[in-house]
Amino acid sequence: MATTACHGCLQLPPPFPIPRAAFGLVSKRGIKSISTPRHTRFTRGGEGLPVLQTSITAALERKAYTTPLRTGALGTKKGMSAIYDTETGRRRACTIVQMDRVQVVAHKTRQKHGYYAVQVGSGWKHPSNVTRPLLGHYAEHGVSPKRHLVEFRVRDERGLLDIGEMIGPGWFQEGQYVDAKANSRGMGFAGGMKRHGFKGQPASHGVSLTHRSMGSAGQSQGGGSRVLPGKKMPGRMGGHQVTTQNVKVMKVDEEKGIVVLNGCIPGPDGCVVKLSDAIKKPWPEIPMVTSAAQAVAEPLRETV
Amino acid sequence: MASLTPILRPTSCWKTLLRRSRQQKMCIRCLTTFEPPTVPLPPPPRLPSSYPSPFKLSRGIREPINKIKTYPPPPSARNKYPCPLDEWTAMHLKDLDPTGSRTRLFARNNPDVPNAGDILLVTFKNGDPFAGYCISIKRRGVDTAILLRNRMMVTGVEMWVKIYSPNVTAIEVVKRAEKRARRARLYYMRKPKHDRGSVEGEVKEYLKRRRLIRSGALGVKDPTMSAKRPEQAKSGVKAS
Repeated sequence: MATTACHGCLQLPPPFPIPRAAFGLVSKRGIKSISTPRHTRFTRGGEGLPVLQTSITAALERKAYTTPLRTGALGTKKGMSAIYDTETGRRRACTIVQMDRVQVVAHKTRQKHGYYAVQVGSGWKHPSNVTRPLLGHYAEHGVSPKRHLVEFRVRDERGLLDIGEMIGPGWFQEGQYVDAKANSRGMGFAGGMKRHGFKGQPASHGVSLTHRSMGSAGQSQGGGSRVLPGKKMPGRMGGHQVTTQNVKVMKVDEEKGIVVLNGCIPGPDGCVVKLSDAIKKPWPEIPMVTSAAQAVAEPLRETV
Repeated sequence: MASLTPILRPTSCWKTLLRRSRQQKMCIRCLTTFEPPTVPLPPPPRLPSSYPSPFKLSRGIREPINKIKTYPPPPSARNKYPCPLDEWTAMHLKDLDPTGSRTRLFARNNPDVPNAGDILLVTFKNGDPFAGYCISIKRRGVDTAILLRNRMMVTGVEMWVKIYSPNVTAIEVVKRAEKRARRARLYYMRKPKHDRGSVEGEVKEYLKRRRLIRSGALGVKDPTMSAKRPEQAKSGVKAS
């Protein structure tokens, strides 16, 4: 509060400013609009206006159609085999994927992280090999340290499977379709013929030592005397994520932890495979087991 | 006349002298001349008995001050079934080959195992039988297969036969190779120079002989029927 200095001393400014509320009006410099803002199609926050197409909300809405309703699972590719239909004698190649201690570790929410996702871990890692920050992350959610950690985007909070829930092979139904994602087999540094399917050069007719080379990379003066961005060239091949869509689940063995998929999937044997419901097929009609979905009471189904 | 320089020279040193003295003064000023009276530190508070002494070697594992709690892993299907592919194969072969005759026929430890170069006859559930030189054997569990090569009309024909396919009713050895082939895969037979041509004659002779044996005309026992366990000896050969 304003204290008066002693009369004999020099007049000093009060040590504490007087609250502005004590005065009726305080002049404030600046620009103030006289008219209230009108709602146009460019203003935000208007009632009944469509969501801006450049906003995160709109982006999520656009992606909602292809975002799975429930989380996927992690597996290890064990190898390929075949199934015979004993009646028709038809043979089908199949891939065996084993799921090991797949568990929900954490959630990502729209409010906190900007999107809904389920963080899923698989396997087990000795705690001495896990960094302290990550150990804390596992301890916070009451989950043992995991060998692999991935995220699966889900459409809304109904898809957030409870933390600590185990995801077994029974998560997928026999006959349903899944998308299998895995890192492809690394080819190392590969030439243009192998990497992009270039034709190469003829074996003869004067070609010397350049039978498998990529040839010309573009024009000279007419084309700007430069190599256009994105020009296909030799380089590292493979080792990136590849998705095989619409893979049918042929068999599920809960005890052995295996899912038998029709045909082949990317990656070498022993690689980590991400399995999730196929986005190009109707979502499987499986009642949701999440606590958020139980509140909704009805099974989660496609809402278009 | 003497110049003024010798007289002025001593005065010119003054500046340096003054600066030096000033610096000395500053140094003197920096020296600590005052020392507060030493107050004895208060005695340390009573330490807990578990507090490790810095002079004593601690016994056992020292726990970190803030240890993060870890949870035990759930039971693992991977540790219990480390080779699901083998189990899958075994389980599937039980359905495809209940007697185990096909597996035994192509087992490596079978002394009568068909080798590359032998002539094999495969009978299918629906359709004509196919015979040819076995030019390759691929042992891959459920996908175990043989590659047969024959000549039909004037064209060379090859067929991969999956031995566990339900469509295959029988696999018979028509004729053994006179000499063991030095290669496991006889792909050189695709070249006209090495092509052995049709196996029609050998198969006809074999079928004739088989008919005679089964009718008992030759006075030789049918090995498939006289075996101790005919079911196992058959290896898919039709009894008729």
